[in-house]
Amino acid sequence: MSLIVEKLRIRGPEGVLVQGASFALAPGEPLVLLGETGSGKSLLAQAVMGTLPPGLRAEGRILLDGRDLLPLPPRERRALWGRRIAMLPQEPWAALDPTMRAEAQVAEVDRLVHRHGAAEARRRAAARLAHLGLQGAGRRYPFQLSGGMNQRVALAATEAAGAALLIADEPTKGLDAALRDTAGALLRAEAEAGRMLLVITHDVALARLLGGQAMVMLSGAVVEAGALPGLLEAPQHDYTRRLVAAEPSRWQDWPRRPPGRAIVEGNGLHKRLGGRELFGGLDMSIGEGEVVAVAGPSGCGKTTLGNLLLGLARPDRGQVRRGAWVAPLGLQKLYQDPVAAFTPHQTLGQGIAELRRRHGLAEDRAAGLLPRLRLQPALLGRRPSEVSGGELQRFGLLRALLLDPALLFADEATSRLDPLTQQEVMALLRECVEERGTALLLVTHETALAEKAAGRVLRLGT
Amino acid sequence: MTLSSRRLLGGAMLAAVAGFALLGPLHGADPLRQNLSATLLPPGAGHPLGTDHLGRDMLARLAAGARLSFGYALLAALAAAVPGTLLGLLAALRGGWPERLLLGLADAVQALPALLLVVLVTAFAPGEFLPLYIGVALALWVEFFRISRNTAAGVLARPQVEAARLLGLGTGHILRRHLWPEVAALTATLFAFAAGTAVTTVAALAFVGVGARPPVPEWGSMMTELLPYHAEAPLALLLPALLIFLTVLGLHLLAGRERA
Repeated sequence: MSLIVEKLRIRGPEGVLVQGASFALAPGEPLVLLGETGSGKSLLAQAVMGTLPPGLRAEGRILLDGRDLLPLPPRERRALWGRRIAMLPQEPWAALDPTMRAEAQVAEVDRLVHRHGAAEARRRAAARLAHLGLQGAGRRYPFQLSGGMNQRVALAATEAAGAALLIADEPTKGLDAALRDTAGALLRAEAEAGRMLLVITHDVALARLLGGQAMVMLSGAVVEAGALPGLLEAPQHDYTRRLVAAEPSRWQDWPRRPPGRAIVEGNGLHKRLGGRELFGGLDMSIGEGEVVAVAGPSGCGKTTLGNLLLGLARPDRGQVRRGAWVAPLGLQKLYQDPVAAFTPHQTLGQGIAELRRRHGLAEDRAAGLLPRLRLQPALLGRRPSEVSGGELQRFGLLRALLLDPALLFADEATSRLDPLTQQEVMALLRECVEERGTALLLVTHETALAEKAAGRVLRLGT
Repeated sequence: MTLSSRRLLGGAMLAAVAGFALLGPLHGADPLRQNLSATLLPPGAGHPLGTDHLGRDMLARLAAGARLSFGYALLAALAAAVPGTLLGLLAALRGGWPERLLLGLADAVQALPALLLVVLVTAFAPGEFLPLYIGVALALWVEFFRISRNTAAGVLARPQVEAARLLGLGTGHILRRHLWPEVAALTATLFAFAAGTAVTTVAALAFVGVGARPPVPEWGSMMTELLPYHAEAPLALLLPALLIFLTVLGLHLLAGRERA
């Protein structure tokens, strides 16, 4: 069993997107493709899978057990899916059928791909789920399972198909640190069980967990390759160095400053959501210029707590008091998915102009902030979907700063950004704290980030 | 067929019907003038589409019917679309008891068969057109209401609206920049379907004797009048049916949306 990729080049209508990548994959040793969004790492995987978007063309050779896949007609490439090559989808909770129970989704593969009888397929599916630690979850639907459990269901389904080559595209996207470790261990176990494993990620911590070989990609080219963890301990290329340095655990501690006047104070906060108590009798206050982090696993009520303090939701019991000196619009929020926080029906410039007119702000305010946030003025003519996630998050910061907020609530504001962009946005937030005395409420599942940035870390759900 | 060619075809059908409506008066014949010595004539000189059982010119009658059906159908759809959409936006934005009240009202209206509702309203002034169209609008507004309320409620739950509120942008901004662009696209589609429904409803009612009555040249009532003569003059019966078909299909093609 082997996968050999030789001088793979991917062309699009506007030129070459991936330039001459070569690598070999053998059972037992994972290959990790590291790189930022847009570096071409996902295209490489799509070329192997045979799912390149229309208009893109792959050249070179992709040899699976000695047979070149590129000249094969689409029908023959599709015939390989599941049986020979499997792709673990990004965000599996969205890829699973919401109307099918977990066990049925796995058993379906045994029935349809391997032609087993219904009873036999069910027995096999149950065994697979149990093997991945999902005993008793087989009767549940995807929406009743956590993100990590859904990922294991998807993994069980690809295992059932029996493909020798498993491609995982951003397998830790949307998972918190504990689940990321579990996902990494599961994938490594797949490799150790004798499958070929190709993992695409921007998560350096995941690469370290997986071990094996790694390739670092930057704007369509492989800039560095080598064995893990050596590659990450002594990176040669400048980009790899920055990538490693961008890991929150390597950041310097932010300076701690004594908090000023209280901006917002919550006393004896109780909140229940979906029949579950998120917190009961919680006290919390944030002072001027203070950086407070709320950490904890998914679903523990971090965001809800922030929303209570901002007045976006009401506590069941207890009260939230805002400092009398705080302006009505003095509490602002940055969102996890910046695209969802902008209306798609106007350009960024129009949005900012409207905000300016509404509050009678000087015209040069926004213009002055653009270079401060390292944003090109040309971006003002674009719609939110036409800029990168990092740029859009900086626009989110810009429109909040226009109102001179006393407190910024960053709700997982960097969790969807790649490490270098995350570092950049966090650095800008730090400047806001230092230069303007803005207080920062960070909601994050990344413990290292919380500890480096915040003077105070509140842990929920532990 | 691609979306744009479907739309083009639909537009062409409607243009043909509209052109027909305008062509009639140029022809000059009175749609009501009878000539009992020239009944059920086939198409020929003087009567390009022949005559009906009372010797009335078919072209003039069909053209007058087109103005009637088409014009009033658009009015009825408009009378349903404007209040329906606005009430839907209001319900989504306001929530609380007005929303519950409107939803209850919508349920009540939909629990009645639409045709029955129109018949009931028409009973106030038999033979008049206005109550007929008011009845059609009363039956149709519910769909506009539901679509706009549900779309708006979905948008209102998104972070983009929460962010706009935090930035102090106000309800006007949320209506114009967040809700309206999404609601308007769906409403436009629904409008074309609603106009098609109005055309068939009015014609169907006239066919069974409600609303338009002879000698008014309405497509549905023309079909009723010509039904006994289907063996002698099949074309005369077919023509109004064909026009209804073209109008409704044209509207539906025009309303076509990209399929996901």
